[in-house]
Amino acid sequence: MLEILGTIGANVISLPGILGLALGMMTRRVWLGALMGGLVGVAETLIFAHGSFTNVQTIELLIAVVVGLCAGSLGSAIRIKGATV
Amino acid sequence: MADSPENRGWIGRIWNAIWTPAVMFSSGFLLLAGFLAGILFWGGFHWTLELTNTEEFCVSCHTMETNLGEYRETIHYNNHSGVRAICSDCHVPHEWNHKIKAKIMAVKDVYHELAGTISTPEKYEEHRLSMATAVWKKMKASDSRECRNCHNFDYMDFTLQETRAASEHQRAIDENMTCIDCHQGIAHSLPPGYQERYQEVTETLASKSSGTLQQQTASNGDDIRSFLTTRAD
Repeated sequence: MLEILGTIGANVISLPGILGLALGMMTRRVWLGALMGGLVGVAETLIFAHGSFTNVQTIELLIAVVVGLCAGSLGSAIRIKGATV
Repeated sequence: MADSPENRGWIGRIWNAIWTPAVMFSSGFLLLAGFLAGILFWGGFHWTLELTNTEEFCVSCHTMETNLGEYRETIHYNNHSGVRAICSDCHVPHEWNHKIKAKIMAVKDVYHELAGTISTPEKYEEHRLSMATAVWKKMKASDSRECRNCHNFDYMDFTLQETRAASEHQRAIDENMTCIDCHQGIAHSLPPGYQERYQEVTETLASKSSGTLQQQTASNGDDIRSFLTTRAD
């Protein structure tokens, strides 16, 4: 449980959370924001696995993608609510 | 009008202010201010995080006295070159994602300090094997990532090592072993039954990853420890 919480927290203040949010804020399409966030989650997991899918743990990949999806969606919601363009 | 700006509470007014377009600041001003605020926040966050990596911070808890005393007897604390590995060098990953995960998981240490789980020498000894097991499991799973921040097979000159060390390191490369397979207990004392427990850890992780069991533990771990201790003296 603690390991899962740690992984979620790490992803929130790592690339999926921060870059996912930033990319999400670049579009009003929530699905596109979520997609970009999810892709960042995959990319980040690969980067920390030194570019090899064999070093990727399924649970870590899953958490990174979910955090990326949420952050991207939130970014798009912020764009919709907070920008007139 | 219940939702008019005048009738809203302070939370509502703040919420409204956040989402109202700024008319008194230019975009350039907001960008620059946000950029500077971001640098200040990130710098402060990173600096604070680094403070939690210092030896002083780690041993500020009463329960860390035992392992500090044991660590001070080892080559990683005191050696001919003066190059040291402190607590965080072995227990905190360098890479951002792994580091943050380790920091969040370390919250449990604060809880156990407050709860007094290992507050007496008797309690400490009672939990020593389980604490060691948790660290071994983490190190084995990460291929001794923290050891490899300083030690690297690629740069080991086996001709400068003692014959036995060189042959064991060559065996480690050939059999795809990892540092912790042989070097358990190099910084802290080992509890009785540690070899059996380490074998269990190895088997559990091996069966999880490939379904096959591997015999990757050192047959002469005590020799390695006594050798390192002697060198530290």
